[in-house]
Order: sequence, then C-alpha cells, then structure tokens
Amino acid sequence: MRYIHLILRSLFRSRRRTILTVLFLAVSVFLVATLQSILLTLDAFANNPNSSNRIAVRHKVSLTNLLPLRYADWIRQQPEVEEVMALQWFGGIYQDPRNFFPNFAAEPEPIVRIFKEEIVEYSETQWRDFLRDRNGCIVGEALAKKYGWKVGDVIPMQGTIFPINPRLNLRLIYRSRRLTDEQAMYFHFKLVEEGVPFMQGRVGNLWVRAKHPDEVPRLIERIDRHFADAVEPTLSETENAFQLEFLKMMGNLATIIHAITGAVLVAILIVTANTMAMAIRERTTEVAVFRAMGFTGSRMLGILMAEGILLAIMGGMAGLGLAWLAAGGIRAALGSVIPWLTDFTIPVDTLLFCLHASMGLGILSTFIPAYRVVRRPIVEGLRAL
Amino acid sequence: MALDFIIRCEAVAKSYWRGTLEIPVLQGLDLEIPRGGYYALMGPSGSGKTTLLNLIAGIDRPTGGSIEVCGYDLNDLDDDQLAGWRSQHVGFIFQNYNLVPVLNAFENVELPLLLTRLSRRERREKVLEALALVNLTDRLENYPRQLSGGQEQRVAIARAIVTEPDILVADEPTGALDAKNAEEVMALLERLNSEVGKTILLVTHDPKAAHHARIQIHLEKGVLDRTVEVNR
Ligand SMILES: Nc1ncnc2c1ncn2[C@@H]1O[C@H](COP(=O)(O)OP(=O)(O)OP(=O)(O)O)[C@@H](O)[C@H]1O
Ligand SMILES: [Mg+2]
Repeated sequence: MRYIHLILRSLFRSRRRTILTVLFLAVSVFLVATLQSILLTLDAFANNPNSSNRIAVRHKVSLTNLLPLRYADWIRQQPEVEEVMALQWFGGIYQDPRNFFPNFAAEPEPIVRIFKEEIVEYSETQWRDFLRDRNGCIVGEALAKKYGWKVGDVIPMQGTIFPINPRLNLRLIYRSRRLTDEQAMYFHFKLVEEGVPFMQGRVGNLWVRAKHPDEVPRLIERIDRHFADAVEPTLSETENAFQLEFLKMMGNLATIIHAITGAVLVAILIVTANTMAMAIRERTTEVAVFRAMGFTGSRMLGILMAEGILLAIMGGMAGLGLAWLAAGGIRAALGSVIPWLTDFTIPVDTLLFCLHASMGLGILSTFIPAYRVVRRPIVEGLRAL
Repeated sequence: MALDFIIRCEAVAKSYWRGTLEIPVLQGLDLEIPRGGYYALMGPSGSGKTTLLNLIAGIDRPTGGSIEVCGYDLNDLDDDQLAGWRSQHVGFIFQNYNLVPVLNAFENVELPLLLTRLSRRERREKVLEALALVNLTDRLENYPRQLSGGQEQRVAIARAIVTEPDILVADEPTGALDAKNAEEVMALLERLNSEVGKTILLVTHDPKAAHHARIQIHLEKGVLDRTVEVNR
C-alpha cells in the first residue's frame, strides 16, 4: 500500500485522458448493467420459484381458443392435484388504455389457494364479502395505491376482448411479498360466463396446482394424453413456461442483450488497452529509472497493473452508480406500464458481473503493454528519450 | 599493503550485435577504484563510457570478464538480486535528471526508500536530511516543472544519496546545465566525496567538470589508455 500514492498520481498524469476513459467506461458499464438487469428481472419473472407447483392448461391450437369448463372436473379427480381453477385473461381497461394492469376473471373460491404464494396477507371478512358479491373484485395493494382505490369503491372496467363493461365492487386488498405480485385484479368468472354468450361453459385457461412440484411433469403428460383425442385437445405447461410464451412476444430479447453486452465489452477492452498502452509507453524511461533504483521487474509490473485495474474499477463503479440511479427512474417511469418492472433493481449478480468484467478487462488491457515495458533492458529504456 | 578496492573490473568485454555483425565496445578492460575515490571517465563520443558505467552500476551485463563491486561479483547475481543490490549500493545521477513529473521534490527523493523497511517517519527524516545536504529544504512541495534545471539535478542527487549507497554513478550530470549550475552541481559532488566519503564515478566530456575529480581515466578503442591524477 506504500505505492498507492504513486499509483494514483501516475493514473492522473494525463488528467483529460484518464477522465475521458473513466467516462467511457462508466457509460459502457451503465449500459451493460441496465440491459443485463432487465434480462435478469424478466428471467426471474418467468422462473418464479413460487409457481413451481402450478400448471397452465390451454387449448392446443392457440392461446385464444377456449376449453370446455368441464375439463376441470376430470383434472380435479387426479390424485396429484390439489386445486383447479378456471382463469380467463380479461384484458379490461380502467378509464384509459394506458392504465395497464393484468386483470382476470377467475373462479373465486380457489384463487387464494392457487396463488397462496402471491396472495399472502388479507382479511378473512373481506374475503367472505368478495365471495358473496358477484360483482366483487380483489386487487393487490400496490395497484390499489396507484389508483387510490379503497375497499367499497366501484371500479368500472371496460372490456376489450369481451363485449361487457362490468362495474366491480372492490371487496378486498391483498398484500404480497413482492410488489410485482400486487399488480393484479381478479373478479368472478361468472360475470364473463353469463355476460358473454360464447363463453358459456368455456374458459381460456385452467390453472392447476399440484400437491408437489415433482409431480408436475407427470401430471402435465397425463392431462395432455387424456384430452389428446378430444375435439378440443389441451396443451399443458408449467406456469413459468406459459409466462415465457407471453414474454417471447417481446422478441428474442436475451440474444440481443447478450450481443450488445459482448460488443460493449470488446469496445471497453479496445479503449482501455489503448489508454494503458499510451500511458505506459510514454513512461518507458521512467520505468527504466525505477528499475535502476532497484525496483524489480515484477514490482514494476505490479504497480503498472494496479494502475490499469484501478482505472477500470473507477469506470465500473461510476457506471454501476449511474445504473443504480437509472433503475429508480425505470421503476418510476415503466413500472406502471410493464408490471414486472415494478421491482426493477440492479441485481447483485449483475453488480458482481460488471465489477468482475471491468477488473478482468483492466488486467487484460494492462498486462501486455506493462509486461513489454518491464521486460525491456534497463539501458535501452534509459536511452529511449 | 592491499588497498580497499570497491570497484574491480577484470578483462571486461562488451559487444553489441547488429544482426550477425559483432560491434566490440569494451575489449578486455581492467580497472580498480579504491573506496572513497572520485574518478572522471573521459573519452571520445562512442568510446563506451556509458557502457562501462552501466556495467559497473549493475544495469547491464558484460559479455566477458568479471566485475566486482562492494564485494559482490555481479555475474553471480540474478536479475532480482541485482536489483536488490543496486537499491543498497548504487545511487544514479542522470543527464536529464529523470525525476518523476507527477511527484514533488519530497516524494521523488522518497521513492528509493519505498524499497526499504523504514517507517513513514524514518523515511521522512532521511528525505529531509538528503534535501538539506543539497540545500533544497525550502522546495519540498515543488514539482519538477516548478524547479530550475540545477535544482532538479540537486533533487536527483538527493534521491541518489538518500539510501546512503557506497557509490554514485553520474553520466554527464552537467550536460544539460549552464556553466553556473554545472559548477554548483560539481561542487556538490565534490563535497559528497570529500565530506561524506562517497565513491564517485563520473562520465563527462567537460574538462572543467572532470577537473573536480581526483583521477581522470581515458577510454579509447575499448581500453583505458591513460590515467591522470588531478593536481589541486
Ligand atoms: N544497444 C546498443 N546496440 C548497438 N550498439 C550500441 C548499443 N549501445 C551502445 N552501442 C554502441 O556502443 C558504442 C559505445 O556506446 P556508449 O553509449 O557507451 O558511448 P559513450 O562513450 O557513452 O558515448 P557518448 O559520449 O556519446 O555518450 C557506440 O558505438 C554505440 O553506438
Ligand atoms: Mg554516453
């Protein structure tokens, strides 16, 4: 540590060059950190460990074809099944199309058992009120807060897929462990079934809860086999896979993000390598003077490497700082539009990845010029003026 | 009576190769310098003065012969041992001062002490002592670009003596200075020799500078051809 002073001074020898390099690194790392965080957040959403017991059953042909409601009866009799629930994406609008939040028509009684990992805290009295009121609905607390809803309010919903505009009575506000899970609204499926002629006895999805996650694959296989020859064959998948299908509508995001990350890392490498090569080459004589005074080659190499690594880490930290600030902005600006960004942060994994990547790039870009200058004979270095 | 020779060169040879062509610079050179000696190495340009100085200072290796300095046969030391040896026994003074531009005078002088086990306080004492010897205690905070050439060279001399080495090697230390500053630097070296007892090996073109030494040796065609004692 006696060299830290020397290292810092040397690093800022050419102040403008160092500051520009740090800024470039910061912007690059910011970009990588933000993109990777979005990817991880979406990934976490599609790999929700809470949903490992749950199966989404739908029509084999497409997401928009309907299944007969009576399929639920057969599925319920299977020994691995804990609960079955009819679930219909309603896609309704509250006041303005920009006020997007997921809203579903569901068979009411099973809701809290199917989604027990998400609907964690609620009042039993309110729950009974909801079950009794055919026009009742339940929403997550974050959603309620956003629109200022209180229990007892009337929420007019405007159908988009279905030609009905239910006026729902807010009966219950639940809490979840994560804000992301407090973004949904559920109301009685009967409203859709009785209000829309083509929905009689039919539903978009059956949500199944297995008693044990290990039984999920077997159950999926059995359900699909049983209905394979029916007029309406089924396609069952884990809830995670189903969510993923939903997210895939956004295109092959992961590939694009990884490609951008790779390109940015290469750019960082080139820029730091160039900065360090210049910084070290112009000090050829100085390195020779140090070595003449008795600094060994490996000590000099260490000092020069520390400089490069410090430069990279300064850039990396600045970039992560920017990303952290931006995460707040993304939460505020997009969290209400894209519900799974409500909890958006820079995950620890991404943080560590970016720190390691910048450190690695610092090492990589400094080693070659540092090694070359240190290996040069002292007398040649002294002559190189 | 055997004199205490601090530098002993025996049949030292050094050649450079340009491709397969051998360029002999030193060819079987013998030289003995006693402890406390002050030698000026002279000779025409390209005669090998710098080469010889670098060999004795242990920053270059001979192609033949042996060099013993401060009781060590330099051929026996590997690169890292040689570095350690230099840090203890040799102080370098260059024509271009070679101070680190981003460090101030104090920090420049402190540099070689970073290789020792001395504490911060002990280092500070030694640095102040060295800077007092060169008469620059009022310039501690100045950076090289804020100093005159003569002052820069005096800081460099302080850096060379701060570790209390046995010998000082100086390659054209006045080459970049005007007459007045050159005279000052030479007077300083003379004082270090006569008062502190440093062995000094000085390479110079300047007869005036060489006159400060006690002995002048002349290098010609790869060997020493003349040794002159300076009468004062
Ligand atoms: N690395 C090298 N490769 C090839 N030849 C070299 C190398 N270093 C020195 N020489 C040659 O060796 C000879 C002696 O060089 P040296 O620098 O020792 O001379 P010098 O006496 O110090 O000269 P000057 O008074 O000009 O400083 C010169 O002819 C020089 O060209
Ligand atoms: Mg020379």
